[in-house]
Amino acid sequence: MSARQAGRHDRREGLSSPLAPREIFDNVVLAETPEGILLELRPAGLGARFYAFMLDWFVRVALIYLVGMFAAVLGGIGLGFWIIFIFALEWFYPVLFELSRMGATPGKRAYGLKVVMDTGLPVTPAASAARNLLRVADFLPFLYGFAIVSMLLRRDCKRLGDIAAGTLVVHEPRATKRLALDSVAPIPPFRPLAPEDQAAVIALASRAPTLTGERLDELAALAASVSGDAGREGPDVTRRVLGVAQFLLGRRS
Amino acid sequence: MTPFSFEQLYQEEWAELETLLAQVVGKTGFGGSSSDAVPGARLAALYRRACEHLALARSRSYPAYIVDRLERLTASAHQLIYQRREFGIARLKQMALVEFPRSVRAHKHYVAVAAATLLLPTLIIGVLVYRRPELILSVVSSERAAEFQEMYSPDADSIGRTRSASTDWMMFGFYIRNNISVAFQCFAGGLFAGLGSLFFLAYNGAFSGALAGYLTERGLSATFYSFVVTHSAFELTAIVLAGAAGLRIGHALLAPGRLTCRQSLVRATRDAMVIIYGVVGLLIVAAAIEAFWSSAIWLPHAVKYAVAAACWASVLCYLSLQGRHAG
Repeated sequence: MSARQAGRHDRREGLSSPLAPREIFDNVVLAETPEGILLELRPAGLGARFYAFMLDWFVRVALIYLVGMFAAVLGGIGLGFWIIFIFALEWFYPVLFELSRMGATPGKRAYGLKVVMDTGLPVTPAASAARNLLRVADFLPFLYGFAIVSMLLRRDCKRLGDIAAGTLVVHEPRATKRLALDSVAPIPPFRPLAPEDQAAVIALASRAPTLTGERLDELAALAASVSGDAGREGPDVTRRVLGVAQFLLGRRS
Repeated sequence: MTPFSFEQLYQEEWAELETLLAQVVGKTGFGGSSSDAVPGARLAALYRRACEHLALARSRSYPAYIVDRLERLTASAHQLIYQRREFGIARLKQMALVEFPRSVRAHKHYVAVAAATLLLPTLIIGVLVYRRPELILSVVSSERAAEFQEMYSPDADSIGRTRSASTDWMMFGFYIRNNISVAFQCFAGGLFAGLGSLFFLAYNGAFSGALAGYLTERGLSATFYSFVVTHSAFELTAIVLAGAAGLRIGHALLAPGRLTCRQSLVRATRDAMVIIYGVVGLLIVAAAIEAFWSSAIWLPHAVKYAVAAACWASVLCYLSLQGRHAG
């Protein structure tokens, strides 16, 4: 745990900050595997889950309508099946999809969400059935009132059904882009750098493509001491700081 | 070691693990479980290597793209290696023949409380409404009361159904939907310290008591009781059991013992789910009987009562005796 937290810490802070290590403001849930590594699960908040729910709701209404049209042709038996179908959709639509390979309903999938156990493992049939049957309690007193309160109050954004079933709705991890620094020539650092300083410089380089030029220059100026440019600022300083990052990554020519 | 050379050194292993994972996930879809060609030992070894590499990468603060790649890799391998399969006919059989009746007996105190909470209001309200039939109007509107009276009148084409519903199949669907929803409410109410379960049990008990008292007073007892007596063996039992499962959850929250509230809740839910599986089974049987057997007007009452007695006896024997000796 400590090594991991140290790693997280380094990645987020600037160059060896004079401040005491602060608590990181995020809601990552750590699940330890038998191999002793910690999996990072990122619980999905109320917003994403609300959109996913609405999408699923539209899918269900459309299905009910479609099947209803066919059922009307068949008469009594058709209507009976239609009511059973509505019932099954009401209670088991999420269970069916959560136990399938996707691990989530179409709505959740569209927003990149997935239902997993607290341990990060795929959801078990019992847990999936439990979390969806306990939906009744979440719905109370009206319009998912308790679910919303529970999700807003909890760091891991669980509704009551999730708490009881031991499940978690998480964002599926997305691939991070490789560092694109090929155009920058590597420069050896001006002074010895502690591991956390190295990590900070590399983290800056990996964020470079997402920043505007001016902002990148500002941030690079904070780290300018690594390339011996302390106190200066500008595109050249930025290029040299990125060059140090290139060197730290291990490219030497 | 620099991040770059670390990646150079090990990326072939990571790529191999990625291919293996894609191969296995591609194979095991909804039905297929053929993992014969996948080298399991190799996969496990690669997974453990990737775990080591992740630990190294994190402690050396390697750049995010390496750590993230290893995180995704280990997470999906972990999901694959440690997943639990609980499907299959054998599992279902074990559940029906051993686990469900055993679990009911293990929770017999909850079952007793749930049964009392359902039946006492039924009796009390039933007698009250029988004595003063106008009290039914405090439960339902006068139109509903008239509708009930018409549903159970001896000269209807079939018993227990409104005029708008024309066929047995339609009523089958309706009963499944209605009864399972009631049972699920009794269960889910347990999350509110068991109070919700108690409320739904008592409410449904009071409602059926009021209905029974009213119809008896109107002189429709012959049709009404011959209608309800068979399927109630399954339906009442199921609702009581669902309530008992809810009470188990509520009790786990109120008295967690040496566990935290949350651990206690998760454990209770896992136990209670076994009962809920059985409840769903019982309710489907109940709905089928209610729609196709109970409503038949041409069956003599004696036959209905005999079958009902057999049903009650077999349900009670099943719950109290089945699966005692299985290992």
